[in-house]
Parts: sequence; C-alpha cells; structure tokens
Amino acid sequence: MTVDGVPNVRVCVEPVREGATVRAQNVLGSLDRDLLNVVDRIGGPFTPVGFYYRTMLRPRRLWPQYERVLRNLAGLGCLDKSGRRSGRYDVEHRRADVLVIGGGEAGVAAARAAAENSVGSVVLVDERAAPHIDGVETLAPARAIGFYEGGLVPVDAGNVLYRFRAGKVVVATGTVEQPLLFPGNDLVGVLLPQAVRRLVDDWALKPGDRGVIVSADGAGLDVVEQLRRAGVEIVEVVDLRESLPSTLAANGRRGRLESVTIEGRELACDLLVMSGGRQPAYSLLAQAGARVEYDARRGIFVPVDLPANVEAAGSVTETEPAAAPPPPSFDGGDAKGRCFVCICEDVTEKDVKRALAEGFDSLELAKRYTTVTMGPCQGRLCHLPSIRLYARETGSDEGAIGTTTARPPWAPVSLGLLAGRGLEPAKRTAIHHRHVELGATMMWTGAWRRPHSYGDAAGEARHVHEALGLIDVSTLGKLLVEGPDAAAFLELLYPNRFADMKVGRVRYGVLGSDAGRIMDDGTIGRIADDRFYVTTTSTGADTVIEWFDWWNAVWGMDVEVVNLTGALAAVNVAGPRSRELLGRLTDVDVSNEGIAYLDTKEAHVAGVPCLILRIGFVGELGYELHFASPYGEYLWDTLLERGKDLGIRPFGLEPQRILRLEKMHIIVGQDTDSESNVLEAGMPWIAKLDKDDFVGKWALEHVQARGFREQLVGFEMANGVVPAEGGQIVLDGRSAGRVTSARMSPHLGKAIGMAWVRPQLAVEDARIEIKVDGRLEAARVRLKPFFDPKGERLRA
Amino acid sequence: MTGLDFVSLDRAVAGDGFEPRLSSPLCRALEGSDRVLDLSFLGKIEVRGDVDAINGDLEVVRITPQRALVLCAPEEAAALRDRLPGMVIDMTAALAGLELHGVRTLRRLTDLDLDALPAVGRVADVPCLVLRNGDSFRLFFPQEYGHSVAEVVLDVLKGLE
Repeated sequence: MTVDGVPNVRVCVEPVREGATVRAQNVLGSLDRDLLNVVDRIGGPFTPVGFYYRTMLRPRRLWPQYERVLRNLAGLGCLDKSGRRSGRYDVEHRRADVLVIGGGEAGVAAARAAAENSVGSVVLVDERAAPHIDGVETLAPARAIGFYEGGLVPVDAGNVLYRFRAGKVVVATGTVEQPLLFPGNDLVGVLLPQAVRRLVDDWALKPGDRGVIVSADGAGLDVVEQLRRAGVEIVEVVDLRESLPSTLAANGRRGRLESVTIEGRELACDLLVMSGGRQPAYSLLAQAGARVEYDARRGIFVPVDLPANVEAAGSVTETEPAAAPPPPSFDGGDAKGRCFVCICEDVTEKDVKRALAEGFDSLELAKRYTTVTMGPCQGRLCHLPSIRLYARETGSDEGAIGTTTARPPWAPVSLGLLAGRGLEPAKRTAIHHRHVELGATMMWTGAWRRPHSYGDAAGEARHVHEALGLIDVSTLGKLLVEGPDAAAFLELLYPNRFADMKVGRVRYGVLGSDAGRIMDDGTIGRIADDRFYVTTTSTGADTVIEWFDWWNAVWGMDVEVVNLTGALAAVNVAGPRSRELLGRLTDVDVSNEGIAYLDTKEAHVAGVPCLILRIGFVGELGYELHFASPYGEYLWDTLLERGKDLGIRPFGLEPQRILRLEKMHIIVGQDTDSESNVLEAGMPWIAKLDKDDFVGKWALEHVQARGFREQLVGFEMANGVVPAEGGQIVLDGRSAGRVTSARMSPHLGKAIGMAWVRPQLAVEDARIEIKVDGRLEAARVRLKPFFDPKGERLRA
Repeated sequence: MTGLDFVSLDRAVAGDGFEPRLSSPLCRALEGSDRVLDLSFLGKIEVRGDVDAINGDLEVVRITPQRALVLCAPEEAAALRDRLPGMVIDMTAALAGLELHGVRTLRRLTDLDLDALPAVGRVADVPCLVLRNGDSFRLFFPQEYGHSVAEVVLDVLKGLE
C-alpha cells in the first residue's frame, strides 16, 4: 500500500496515525473493482514468467514504451518525481558488548543473562515492544536488517539507522511459519496461524465466521481454541501429521475465500488457517557466516557452524521435529485458483515448472528468472516451498539443491533510511561565500564547489584581455617539498629538469606515470635551495600527494612532503592592468625587472604575507597570490576594492577555460586521457630524455622509438560552429581523432578547440572534418596558440 | 619576510591603509549557534622528526611515531614555531576545528570508537582528528570541509533536540 505518498508500506505492521492517506497500490480503480484484473483473466496465458525476456523485443524502438508499461504494472509503486525529502533520517554508530536480536522468550533470557553476568553494555533489538530488563537497553520497534563484514549489524529503528558493532551478537530471530501450496492460496481469508493470533489477541478482531484449519504442526491447531473463543465456527480441522488429503483447494469469488475443497468435499467457509510447519529464521546467521544445511528428518534448513562471537538462541536453533514435512504442493483437482509459491512476486507453481522446462534447473538461476524469493519478504514464506517444489520436479532432494545465498537486507528498509542525511560533503574555498554573494553560478569540480561564471562568461573572458580580472584558484593542490634531496626528488619524479632551477624561479611541470602517461600538471617554484613549492590540478591533488609519498618511501630520500592545499588560498590577478593593481598593494618591485615572467617571490600584499608566482594560465600578464586561507575574503575584497578604478572584474571557471584554450594550455583529464603522454601531447620539450632517469623515462623512449600514433593539436572551425567535446574527426569516412575541448572565443571571434588526430593530420593548416550534429564541418589544424603565440603578453 | 611566512596567520601586518582580518571557514554556518565552539584559529603546529624531543607544558597529539600536532593558543604559535624541534609547519590555516558536547552527537557523526580517542577517522564523512575530554569533543579537519562539517553538526544537534 502507499501511505502518505510512500509506496510499498507494509500496512499490516505500520501503526495507524490520524490523517494518514492510505491508497491501494498497483490497482486501476479500487481493490474490489480493479480493472487490472483483466490481465489476470485474459492476459495470464500470454504473460507467463519471464515473458518480457522473449516478447516485446521488436521493434526495438518501442522497448522504452513497453518498459514503461511493464514497470507501471510491476506493482512496485510510484514515487513522486517532483517530491522532496519529506522525512528526517539519521545514522547513529553504536557499540555494545552484547547485541541480542529478537525479543522473544529466548532473546529476553539471553539479554537478561548477559546483564546479570555484567558483561558490559547489552542491547536488545526487537520488532515489537520488548519488556524492560534491568541493565539492558531495549531498541523497539526496530529490526536488524543484515549482518555485514566486520560484524556490522544495521538496525532499522524507523527514522534512525543504528550501525552496531558488538563484541557478541546473539541471534534469537525464532522461526517463520510456512504456507502450504494449493490452488487459491492467495485468496483473502487464507491466513497463517500467526496472523490469526495477532488479529484475535492483539486487536480483538474476528478473522471470519466459518473456519477450516489445515496444519502440518501444532501451531495451526493451537489457534482452534482462540478462534472458537472469538466466535468463529470451526468447520473442519485437518492435521497433516495424521492424514494427507489427496486434493486441497481454496475457492473464491472476487478474490475472497468462499469455500475449501478437501478430497472432493466442498466446505463453505470464509477463513482457512494453513500451516506448513516452521522454518528457522537463519538469514542473519547465514549472513554472519554460518553454514546452512538441510535436516531431512524435519524437512527444514538449519544453521550450523556459527562463527566466533555469534550465538543463536531459542527456536532458531530448534532441534526437535514438530511438523510433518508437507508435500511441495497439493493437487487441486478441478479447482480454478492459482497455486502461488511466492505471494510477493506473483510466482505460481506453474511458473516454477515452466522455468524448469526452459532449462533453469539451478535454484540460483531460477530465482533470478522467476524472481521467487526476491520480494519484500526476502523468501521468508517462499524459500522453503520453492526448494521443495524444485526437489520434486527435478527428482532431487532438498539437501542437494541447498539454499540460495542469504544477502542483506533481511527486512524491507526505506531508501531514505539508507540514504541518511541530505547533506553532501563539499570542499569550499575560503572565498566561496563571496562568490555566492556576487551572484556566481556554482558548479562541482570534483569535490570542490567553484564559480562557473558570474553571469557573463564570454564578457568575463574578454575583460581579462582588455583590462583586469580576478579568479579564485584556491582549489589548486599545493605541496611543499623540502629537504636536502628535494631537487633530486623532483628530478626523478618529473620528466623535466629542476635541479638547475634558481631560487625564485618557477617552471611548468607535467607529472608522468611509470608508463609515461600524463597524470597531472602544475607549476614548481623554487623558494629556497632545499624547498620547492609545487602546485597540482584541483582534482588531482590527492593523487599527486599519494604519488609523492609513495616514491618518497620507495627511494628513501631525505625529503618531506607537506600538503598545504587547504592551508593556502590563492587568487590570480590577470590582465594588462594587473601590474598596476599589485603595485598599489605591495612594497616590492612588481616591474618586469622586479618580478619577471616565471619568477616567484614572497611579499606582503595588502598586509598579508603572500607567495607571488608570475605565471599565466590564462595567457595574460598575471600574478598568482598564495596566502593563508583565513585571509581569503579580506584579500579578495581588498583586490576588488583597490582595483575598482582599473575595472577589475571577477571571472569564473568557464571564462578561464576559454582563455586557456586560446593559449592551447591543456587541462589534464580533459585534453588528455589515461593513454596520453607528453610527446604525443605536443610537449616534447618537457621530456629531458638525456637525464639519467625519471619515472616513465623508459616508456617515453619507447614512444619516441615506435613513432607517434596520434597527436594533440589545435583546430579552428571554418564556419564558427562549436563542435561537441568528444566529437569525431573524420577522414575518408572513418574516425581519425576526437575533439577534447571546443569553445567560441569572444576575443578572437572564432570557434576553436583541441583534438587528438592521426599524425599525418598534425600539420599546420591541414584541413580536417569534424562531425557536428551528424554533419561534417570543416576545420583547420593549428599547432601554435590561437592567442599571443609568441607569449609577448605574458612577458609584458 | 622569511620562508613560509605566507603559511602562518600571525605574520600579517596592518598599516598603509590595510587592516588584514581573518575569517573562519565555520563562521557562516555557526552564526547564531552557541552549542558549538569554533576552534579554527587555535594554533596547530605540526612537528616532524623526533617528537620525543618536544618539551614543555604543551598539548601534543601524536599522529605517528615521527609526527605530532601541537595545539596552542593563537598568540603562542609564533614562539612555538621557533623553539620546537625538527621540521615545523604551521597548520593552523589548514585545519578547522570545533568543540561540542555529547556522546550521542558524536555517535551520529562518526563510527570511531569513542572510548579509544584520540583517533583519526571520518566524521561527518570527512577525515578528522577527534580528541576527547569527558563529554567534550574537539574535532580538527581540513578547513575546506569546514562549512560542510558545521552544517552536519548543527543538523545532528537539531535532530537530537
């Protein structure tokens, strides 16, 4: 049923609450007048188990429509797509010395004994209200939903998921009453003994007027007196331990029981209590690692070989036979009703037989094909009957067939509870809230939140060329590499050279893997003889730090690597007026002589100690300022304030991407993939193959010896169309490469991009064709940056 | 300036019309809340090397046999950096911190064994160092996650009201 918009609610155990809206699920009309009954009446023969695997496959284009119809009829309920988080869910991590699952007699006794023996903290979990026990914490109503690796036991307590780790777990989950398989066993009025007890004892409800009892154990017979006391007329009692009827069927009308036929005798009744014996509820024990074996004497599966620190108590370990194993199914004679094996999934005896006939003779395969045991009850009521049926139909025995794997969850659990709280961890720069206040559109880049733009990406990009822009680059990875071996360490890690770098200089570096593939890139500044300041890409920082630590451990060099990523904020002041602005904020000489291109210097900027790096990812005169992150908002505000008359304007990630593309500066992961290397990526000057050694040297030598298979180049579209990233380069009707980046450059007025192409196409001005929306569009290859190819603006 | 001043909070200089000011990564999320104490500006000095040589009346949290975190008042950080042995890095800006009370609150934030603290683990889904003093807990975590952590902590506290 759907309760207050939440589908698949087990209303038999859901507490009634004032004002709740309860709707029948998977009906068209009402439960009594369900138009979907037509599927049962005339569609049944055409919709056997697994029919959708064989029919509705063609034409393929119609499958989405078929699928939608099938899903709507599958009975899984509907979610409100426009709905929002309606409930609050929490997770609580708990530890206990003893965790008892099940609040029946055995569970209570186990909990009491543990408390009396002062073993420490004792927690009892039960689905229903459990009694108070001194020294025991009771969680009820609550359900253990599984037993995971490491002894983790999640407990569903409504809107709180308790994740228990206990020194000892006592499983006292009892047994589960088993139904009988006969035609009509799904009719309203056919009940298990437990349901009768609950109706009569708990809720004082009379379950029917005339009752028939068919039972394989004492449980079914025990309800006879209860029913009589409730005023139910007992029509017939059949004890299967004494006599086994040759035929048994329930007959009804409009889905409700009207009579039972036993060996040809039709008995009018509106209640049939059936009991096929009891199966130990071993699932949690099996998930914990216990072995499950078939006890032929009792016709049930029992848990054996319990793992350490797990105990079983009560009837889950019952050893005495109490029931006569019933037949897998009863012959219904001329009865018209269907014989259900799995009520949850609508799987009938006929479906199981059909699956066998189709070759699904393994229980695990048949389970997946028929979905028997895969419903909300998780096989509580159908696992054993389906195994019995398989054994009979295959001429095998239950022990040889065995059980299917017991997997969590053992009980239905809401997705909301599994999802937990609706907050996702995000990395924010120290300037994050300023971006939001300035109206930036925020986007995810890895775990970071970054401004995409402040409303006009093209305008922001153009403004950097024309005047002055400011961007938050705090997300860059920032490492300190310090120690007597620092230079030698970097020499070995990077393909290019660092030992010859002077203090106060910066160099671009591309980090390669053992296989010579590009891992990351960034800048390396030498800020002292034995100290280097390394930046990485925003999303690659963690990987680079691990990589550095790994090699540091392998080589055992005298080097310390310190992660300063979060400690430092960073901004880039870029544009022709950036020098003028910086000059207003610091005493150091910011001229080309004071801080030349690729220089680094420590200086106070607006009173804040900064590391200044003169670098130019966006292709303009620019200064990157790195400083302690708590000064982020202050320095951002000060730069905007003091640069107001210079026309300073913040710019986001999207304009930055346009600007870097104009310079053909790569973005690792965007313009490169796991196969890319610096030689084919157009950066042969990076790889100093004359060095004694560096990580990936052998692989790069191999690439050079074998020749290039593809090359990264720029391209300029002939007609201004911007191709999609990932778009195909086409040569003679075949793929000859792929676009990695493409944008319209507002400054150049052209659609430009980068692409991997075959080596023969990596020639200046070569004509290529790119597939755009199914059409081929012409483009020209460019090998030099689109903007300021000589780098004069950077060095200005 | 001498090397690594740009990492520390206490090297800023006011004057010439500039008044450098600090902002905590938690300040917005914790605005109006008096149930959580912001420890972001508490001095946090990382020491690498012979951590046994650290002496004096200091709060020292050992991270590994060769690494320790020394916690101190903000105004003591500069002097400590000068006198601590080994490689000394000021991590004050790197780590945000907060102090809160209640075992149940922590249970909803982390799966760490609260009887085996201090320890490093995940709190509110981010890496965190947790220290305990009775019913009081101090959490230190990467400052870039500060706002997220504070949001989750306040949400948990609300859920337990």
